Amino acid sequence: VLVLVRSPLPRLRALFQRYWGWLEHGLWPGVFGGQSPPWGPTLAVQGPDLVPQGINDAGESSAEAPNLLESVVWMAAPKHRRTIEVNRCRRRHPSKLIEIKRNIDVCPECGNLKQKHVLCGYCYAKVKEETRQIRMEIYKKEGGPFNAPTVETVVLYEGEKPTEKDEGKRIIERARKRPSWFVQN
Amino acid sequence: SGAAWARGLLSWARPERCLASGSLFPLSCIHTSTSLQKIGKWEKKNRIVYPPQLPGEPRRPAEIYHCRRDIKYSKDKMWYLAKLIKGMSIDQALAQLEFSDKKGAKVIKEVLLEAQEMAVRKHNVEFKSNLHIAESQTGRGRYVKRLRCHGKGMFGMMKISRCHYFVKLVEGPPPPPEPPRTGFDQAKEYVQQLRNRTLVHTL
Repeated sequence: VLVLVRSPLPRLRALFQRYWGWLEHGLWPGVFGGQSPPWGPTLAVQGPDLVPQGINDAGESSAEAPNLLESVVWMAAPKHRRTIEVNRCRRRHPSKLIEIKRNIDVCPECGNLKQKHVLCGYCYAKVKEETRQIRMEIYKKEGGPFNAPTVETVVLYEGEKPTEKDEGKRIIERARKRPSWFVQN
Repeated sequence: SGAAWARGLLSWARPERCLASGSLFPLSCIHTSTSLQKIGKWEKKNRIVYPPQLPGEPRRPAEIYHCRRDIKYSKDKMWYLAKLIKGMSIDQALAQLEFSDKKGAKVIKEVLLEAQEMAVRKHNVEFKSNLHIAESQTGRGRYVKRLRCHGKGMFGMMKISRCHYFVKLVEGPPPPPEPPRTGFDQAKEYVQQLRNRTLVHTL
């Protein structure tokens, strides 16, 4: 069992040294795992089996020691090194391998790959770029923030005239041919 | 002589190729890379030249070896991607890598596209889709140790890991996957082992 000491702060270091001293002197009850008889004053016997003199002190100090020792947190630690065979079994288990995706299709518009539930990345980028250009034209026309008009906007490409439906709308001109995917009303 | 020197610098020095083709430009036999840059074993595999095949022999499929060195990624994480595309056709592999969220997927995709282009240009492969991935491996690159600062003035040493990625493309459709070993196969093998037993040290 490992006693975890986090950092060598002076207070913890002193505490640790005290516990280590107790351990070395055999005064730590926790070492035997509760199998030894409990400490305490016993019958004094004359002869070579005399218990050492320090038992009374040990008895007094052991009364405090368990309270302090029980507050120390015993952390779990690995006992043996995991072999590479065991590690490989865990790392290469089928649940950890990457699954092959079966939801990849071909986009009918551009022919790039796309996921079934997601928009085609190429077509989206294409539309995004055109939108950015339109927004730049709008910015040029408005000339600054908070100048958006209260009417609708219509985007016209080269060679297009506004129809009677686009009567009261703001017209944004784009200097290119109308893209095939941007259908005119 | 300046033009000849430039030609020598541009054309790769491959002594066996020069001698085989009966080249008239001996200057192209000088090597252009310095001896300090070690050419890896995988790169050298592209240089082997087989003797011409006899008329009756089946056509030897083209093999293309390509690799990328010192990719800033972990070799263990890269291994999962290498394992994914092992044995797939190149189109399927590119599709899987395109929609993978891992950082190494982008790198491997670039490597595969480079290898595909190399195959078509230099290795006499007719159809760029007719390739499959025979081998795909990762290797440990050069690690660098750096200090990582924690709180309270503590520090740890971290290692910045790099990896290499190796791929071998072979012409032809991908081989069919092995059928998984069933209990019946294992039982058959066991019975066969029992039947193979003989009596030793007897008449």
